Amino acid sequence: MSSRPFLFPIVLLTLGFSLLLNLSMGSVWIPPTEILSGLWSGAWDKDSWEQIIINYRAPKAFVAIIAGMGLSVCGLQMQTFFRNSLAGPYVLGISSGAGLGVALLMLSGTALGISTLGLNSWMIALAGILGAGAMLLLVSLVAWRVRDSMTLLIVGLMVGSAVSALVSVLSFFSGAEALKMYTVWSMGSLGALNWSQVALLGLVLGIGLVPVVFSIKSYNALLLGDSYARSMGIRTERLRWIMIGSTGILAGGITAFCGPIAFLGIAVPHLARMLWKTSDHRILFPGSALLGAILLLLCDALGHLPGWSSTLPINAVTSLVGAPLVISLILRKNLSKDF
Amino acid sequence: MANQHITLEGIGLSLGYSQQGKRKELLRDLSFQLYSGELTCLLGPNGVGKSTLIKAILGNLKPWEGRLILDQQELHTYNLEERAKRIAVVLSEPSYPGNLTVGQLVALGRTPHTSWGGKLSPEDRICVEQALSDTRLTALQDERLGELSDGQRQKAMIARALAQDGKVLVLDEPTAHLDLINRLEIMTLLREISQKKEKAVLVVTHDLDIALETADRFWLMNCGSPLHTGRPEDILLSGKIQDLFPGEKYRFELERGKVELVQDPDNLSIEGPATGVYWVKKALQKAGVREVAESLTLLPSFELQLGAKSFKNLDELIHFLKNSA
Repeated sequence: MSSRPFLFPIVLLTLGFSLLLNLSMGSVWIPPTEILSGLWSGAWDKDSWEQIIINYRAPKAFVAIIAGMGLSVCGLQMQTFFRNSLAGPYVLGISSGAGLGVALLMLSGTALGISTLGLNSWMIALAGILGAGAMLLLVSLVAWRVRDSMTLLIVGLMVGSAVSALVSVLSFFSGAEALKMYTVWSMGSLGALNWSQVALLGLVLGIGLVPVVFSIKSYNALLLGDSYARSMGIRTERLRWIMIGSTGILAGGITAFCGPIAFLGIAVPHLARMLWKTSDHRILFPGSALLGAILLLLCDALGHLPGWSSTLPINAVTSLVGAPLVISLILRKNLSKDF
Repeated sequence: MANQHITLEGIGLSLGYSQQGKRKELLRDLSFQLYSGELTCLLGPNGVGKSTLIKAILGNLKPWEGRLILDQQELHTYNLEERAKRIAVVLSEPSYPGNLTVGQLVALGRTPHTSWGGKLSPEDRICVEQALSDTRLTALQDERLGELSDGQRQKAMIARALAQDGKVLVLDEPTAHLDLINRLEIMTLLREISQKKEKAVLVVTHDLDIALETADRFWLMNCGSPLHTGRPEDILLSGKIQDLFPGEKYRFELERGKVELVQDPDNLSIEGPATGVYWVKKALQKAGVREVAESLTLLPSFELQLGAKSFKNLDELIHFLKNSA
C-alpha cells in the first residue's frame, strides 16, 4: 500500500541538512563543516562557538524538531478525525487554553500588584500546561455529551474564541510591561528552553505519539467516514478519546513551552498528502512528522539570518513563509481532491 | 435449494429512539428472515423506517423488544469487530477520499481481520484480489477514486464490502445517484455475488422495476402495516405490491410490470399494432386530448392517419389537434 517509498530517504536527508543549516544560522554564522567537526571531535575552533551551539542553538533546534513533529501529527489527526481539511492542532481550543493560563500568570500581576519580573520559563510552561489541561477537560466534557464530531468541532472553536476574549479582557486591564511580555509569548519562541526542558518536551512528544501509533489502522478506516469505520469494527468513540488525549498532550505541551505556533499543523499534513500522493496514515504520520520538523527548522533558521542583531518571532515566520508556499501548492493542485 | 439457510433473523422486533427520556417508537413487531445465496430488496416509501431497520441490522441500534439473530447467536452479543467480520455495508453517501486507489480502498475492507498496524497477510491479499476480480475491477485497481465515475466508485465500495468477507452484505440505496445502466449493472452484480458467494445480500432500493428484474425476495415496508416478505412475483400476483402506492393516483400495471398514473377515462379509439397504440394513447393523454372526431390509425410506417389527413409524427398530430380545438 506504500507509494513513493524512495521519498523517505530524501526527506531524512533534507532533515539532516535543515538541522545543520539551523545550527549554522544566527547572529554569528558558524560554518556547517565546523559544527560537524566540532561535534565529532569535541575540538572547536573557537570556544564561543561551542558555547553557542551546545547551550543555545542545539536545544533550540531540538525544540524545533519536537514541536514541528508534534504539531504536524496533531494536525493530521484532527483533519482525519473531523474529515475537515481546515482542522489543525488548535481547533479544540488548546492554544487558547494555554494562552489563558499564561495570560493569567503574566497579566494578573498588575492587578494584584505583584512584579512579573520574577517569572521564569518553568512557571510559564506550568501555567500553559494548566491552561491547556483545563481546556482539554472542558472539551472532554462536551465530547462526553455530544456524539457528533462536527458539533465537537464547532464547540471547540466557540470555546476557543470565548477564552481568547477572556485574554483580551485581561490584556485591557494590564500594564504595558506585562502586556509586552504576553505579546512576545504569544508570538511563539523556540529558544527559551534549557536542556532539561527540552528533555521534558521530548518526553511529552513520546507520550503523545504512542496512542497515535496504535490507532493508525483506525485512522485509515476513518477515511471513509464514521459509519463505514464502525461497520469495519473500529470503535470510533474510543478513537475520539485517543485523539483528544494525544492532541491535548502534544499541542498542549508544545504550546505551553513554545507559545502558539500558527499554521504549521494545518499545512504540513496537506504537504505530506501532496508529496506522497497517498491517504494511508502509515505513510502520512511519519511523513508529516518529518516534514513538520524540516519546515520548523527552516522557518527558525530564516528568523535568525546572520548579521541581524534581532530575530523574528517564529510565529511570524511560519505564517509569512508557510502561507504563500502552501497557497501556491494548493492552487496548483486541487486540495479537496487530494484529501 | 437445500443448502439455503437463514443467516439473519428478526423476531418480533420493535425499534425506535429515545429523545430526552421520551421513547419514540418507529417500528413494531417486525419479523423477517434473510437467506444466504439470495438477493433481497427492501422497498418502501421515504420515512417509513427503512434506515432504522438497517441500523438495527448493522447493530447500531438495539431493539427495544424482540430478537435479532445472526448465525444462531443474538446480534448484540457480538463485539464490534466480530460483527464486522460477519456484516459488511455499502452506503449511498458519495463521500470518499479521492487520493485512495481502488486497491487501497478494497484493502481497507480487511480492517477487522488485520492486526493493529493494518498490515495485510497473504490471505488478506488473496481476499482483496478475489473481491477485485469478482467486481471486475482488477484493471482499475491502481486508479484513484477521484478519477473514477460514480458507478465505478460504487462498485469499488461493493468490492471493499466483499473483501470484508462477511456472510451478510447490506447496501443502503447503493444506486441512488447512478444512471439507469449503472443501476442495472450494480444490481445484476449483486445478484451474481449472492449466488456465487452464497452471501445474504440485502439492498434498500427505490427502483421497483430493477428490483423486480433481479431480486429473489422482497421486503415490503409500509406505514402502519407489518413488514411483508415474499418472492417478488408472489407479492405482485397477490396484489400486495399495490400497498406501495397508497391513494388512487398510481397503479401497478401487471402487464407492463411498472407503475402508471391512473388516467381519466377517455374515448380514444386508435387502430394499429397494440404496442404502438399504447404509446400514442399515452402521448395524447399527456397532451390532454380526450377524444378525436375522426378515426385515428397508426400506420406500420409510424405515420398517423386522422380521417383523410396524415401526420409524420405525434408532435405534428398534437399540434394540429390543439390548434383546431
